[in-house]
Amino acid sequence: MSSSKYARVFWVQLKNNFVREAVYRSNFLTMIVVDLIWIAVEFSLFTVIYSNTETLGGWSKPQTYFFLGIFFASDALFTTFFQRNFWNFSDLVNKGELDILLTKPIHPLFLALTRWFNLTAIFNFFLGLGILLRFSDAAGFQGGWKWLGLVGWLAVGLTTALLVRFAFSIWIFWTERSWAMARMYYQFFAFATKPDTIYPKMIRYLILTALPFAFIGSVPARALLQGLELSEYLRIAAVLSVFFVINWFLWNAGLKRYQSASS
Amino acid sequence: MKLGNIQWRIAALKNGFQDATAYRLEFLFEVLGAAFVPAAIQWVLWYALFKVGGATQIAGMTYEDMVAYTLVSILFTQVRGGDHDFELAEMIRGGGLSNYLLRPVGVVEFVYIRGVAPKIFIAGFCLVLGIAAMLLSKIFPSVAAATPNLTPLNLIYGMALAFFGNIIHYQVGATLATASFYWEEAYSLMMVKNMIVQLLSGELIPLNLFPESMQWIWKSTPFYLYVFGPTQIALGRWSTEEIWMQFGIAGLWMIGGWVLIRASWGLGIRRYLSLGG
Repeated sequence: MSSSKYARVFWVQLKNNFVREAVYRSNFLTMIVVDLIWIAVEFSLFTVIYSNTETLGGWSKPQTYFFLGIFFASDALFTTFFQRNFWNFSDLVNKGELDILLTKPIHPLFLALTRWFNLTAIFNFFLGLGILLRFSDAAGFQGGWKWLGLVGWLAVGLTTALLVRFAFSIWIFWTERSWAMARMYYQFFAFATKPDTIYPKMIRYLILTALPFAFIGSVPARALLQGLELSEYLRIAAVLSVFFVINWFLWNAGLKRYQSASS
Repeated sequence: MKLGNIQWRIAALKNGFQDATAYRLEFLFEVLGAAFVPAAIQWVLWYALFKVGGATQIAGMTYEDMVAYTLVSILFTQVRGGDHDFELAEMIRGGGLSNYLLRPVGVVEFVYIRGVAPKIFIAGFCLVLGIAAMLLSKIFPSVAAATPNLTPLNLIYGMALAFFGNIIHYQVGATLATASFYWEEAYSLMMVKNMIVQLLSGELIPLNLFPESMQWIWKSTPFYLYVFGPTQIALGRWSTEEIWMQFGIAGLWMIGGWVLIRASWGLGIRRYLSLGG
């Protein structure tokens, strides 16, 4: 199937989700309020910390807020397009819902990851961009053509979240419940909410390689504010490639184990 | 209390514990994940502020004080309230409450007892772990210097206050859950509560880091009784008078919570239509 057909299927799924969410308008408003509170809590934490110090791991207050803007925008993209699919991922295997996807003339993984959207979360994306814009000057961001780089870095953040979340979810083929793994993902995800330079060497190495949460917000913010060395670009490419290959292998191995155990 | 009343409570407690530990590996992952990742992040913050940033004291606390706070607060973070208030909201929304209205048990208490069962086990485990770690820490002079008043008795007092906090957390949640009688999206209120609790309970940072002008924020909620208060007690940073005063405050919040639950459920149940399911 050609990529244009995939795009058409994606578009249809998007429209279906939009219609579904438009029915629940109060849910839309509620989730916006919840997200605003979450952002307020994150900001409050840093406000309290910066009331006691000028810099944190070499990051000034506006730079940290600039980082938060990228982090919120990047995370919002993941939440909008993929998060709900991962919450339903275990049902695909446990309830045998994968059967129906395997019979379609399109890659089952594509359908599994693009069935559900959370369009209300797109509000956070714009909020993140707003925060980014608000603190860009004070953070020392040069702007101009560098704004184009932001698009690429948001894509890197989204790809990272997708690959890592998948790596935590795929074990459902081997385990009975994926709840603990999902919870663990969100525990580790907390590492993404702070600039990577504040971490001691060992943890920093971990979040730049095996658990690359720093690629979601921190590394993009550093890249836009200070630029990265060539070795860092290469590392990002290598880590994401390795994750892709491992995920692909696990998906195929998982499919071989799948018993269509619907009840 | 009649014997029958005790029996259903014990049965609910047993049932809640069995349910939580049915998947033992998951239970272990949950406990370990919830303990060590937030602690690691806290420690990293202190590392960045003191070791990288070169600070010697922040809000009157040294690096060792901060690390001691982080390590001891892990014990109480494990005991702080769970998410069983969401269960209540879902029962109201989905009509599952009807099953409980027919039974001779109070649904609010039943859900609490089931939810608190694994917390009691974790609290006991944390207490033993805390005491063992405390005795071991005396081997390291720098840690012992930062925790001169950490005694088994203080840990037990701290755990007792943390349990009061656990009850208050549920009372607040159970009251918010009654919004489900009126509003489909009431679960969002509990999500907001949990986010605020994370910051104002002291599980992310010691609350005395708040600037003077913002201290009233955490002092005017009961959330500091969940983690910050118990940690202060365990580390011996509160005087005996202060400890008893805080237990008194916790008692008042619990009475207030009980009144709120009675009032909100009394009003809400009149609107219950037993739809859905």
